[in-house]
Amino acid sequence: MHCRAVYGEMIMRILEKFKKITHKEPGIRDFCIQTIRFRKLLENARGLLALLADGNEKVLGEYILDRHYVTSLIDSSVERLGMMIYDACVLVPEFGETLYTQYDRHKRRAGELISQNSPSATKDMEANTNISSDPEYRLLSDVLTWLNGEPSDPGSTVIDFMKQTFVRVLKHIDTGNNSTIELLLSNNVSKAPGSNMFLLDLWEDAVVPSVKPHSPYAINCIPLKLLLMDADGDNLSPLLDDKNKTATWVATASEYQLSLKILEPDCSFHLEATVSRHEPSDFIFIFADTTINTENILPQGFHTEITNYGQLAWKLDTASKDIEDSLISIGRNLSPKTV
Amino acid sequence: MSKSLEVLLLDDEPIVGRRLKPALDKIGCHVEIFENPIEAVARIDEKEFDIVVTDIRMEKMNGMQVFEHVKKKWPRTKVIIITGYAKMELAREAMEKGIFDFIAKPFRPDDLRQIIARAAQALGTPIDLTLIKD
Repeated sequence: MHCRAVYGEMIMRILEKFKKITHKEPGIRDFCIQTIRFRKLLENARGLLALLADGNEKVLGEYILDRHYVTSLIDSSVERLGMMIYDACVLVPEFGETLYTQYDRHKRRAGELISQNSPSATKDMEANTNISSDPEYRLLSDVLTWLNGEPSDPGSTVIDFMKQTFVRVLKHIDTGNNSTIELLLSNNVSKAPGSNMFLLDLWEDAVVPSVKPHSPYAINCIPLKLLLMDADGDNLSPLLDDKNKTATWVATASEYQLSLKILEPDCSFHLEATVSRHEPSDFIFIFADTTINTENILPQGFHTEITNYGQLAWKLDTASKDIEDSLISIGRNLSPKTV
Repeated sequence: MSKSLEVLLLDDEPIVGRRLKPALDKIGCHVEIFENPIEAVARIDEKEFDIVVTDIRMEKMNGMQVFEHVKKKWPRTKVIIITGYAKMELAREAMEKGIFDFIAKPFRPDDLRQIIARAAQALGTPIDLTLIKD
């Protein structure tokens, strides 16, 4: 997984450099790079969630741990958060100042935690007698409060800051649904006959955009094939209140990865998936704005978070088969015929 | 009744001894805990332990030096190294030098009990982990 991540990062940097040295600015390449960068943002957010889960498991008191574990957890969280903020600022440079100001606040808090000699016994610890009163555990409990306690103000915990950053980036990306269609059409990207889906090959079109439309069935993208397996063609729509309405989509695909985005005005729906049969890598992430009822779309087992802008949902750390079955179900649920 | 395993446990972080001693008592070990490696080595000079469990990174004397000392004095003693987070490479090198096994923090007491049971088996004094005393 690490090799794949390093390889992906390397390719992305080459593409970004390639973009800088070419005189013509092919918008499709920018679009593909944006898609890859958004996936990096997801990957780093996932890394943060994994760190939180590890800390939550350790704090229950079953483990022999030392202060070094806790300080490593703090350092790793700050590093991951920094990587995520970097991704967000590449995607939306105008957010840079605000995001880095908040990030610096978290870095300062992390420094305070590392240097603190007498961690507090938090309310959580007092309430939960399972949590040990050893200083290492008290520090770990403080760290977990910083990571994901009750936010005193927006973004005051790392996970709340992460979610806010996500939503801000998504909101920004979604404002351009119409311009994305224009971009695709102006670059001679067209939908395959009878299809409602613009399809881009994530890596090939990032280098040399294709002038021929890709058919969703011709391109070798495992998650897309799974999504369409039980669907009514590629005629997908999350707009369940209007069964006859079909939606326009753009899918950016590679063999194991799919980024699917709706291109309708006043509607936002993203699906990101990796299906590689390598369990630690496989996941599904969905964002749906408040106009979409995800209860009818998501199969069981998704973690969901409600924000003012819409719903974040994800499934990860589960068997590859579960991810595959979930994609088939989502495709079926998005298919108007079955609604 | 079989003789209990004599275990010396050395870690400069007090939490380790405080939490591991009761866990090892439960499988019938007689455990002496030390936070200072100099004091631990002095005790090793006095007494042959079946098993020495030592942290690798300590001030004054590191775990490998403790291991070398044990090997010279009591070649039969099995030494188990506790490594810190992300020190696995160091631990693998240690195994090549004759360490019985290593365990990386954070770990569960039962993870160490499993290693102790294997060490006991190698010493010819097996212990039954299913008979953990509450």
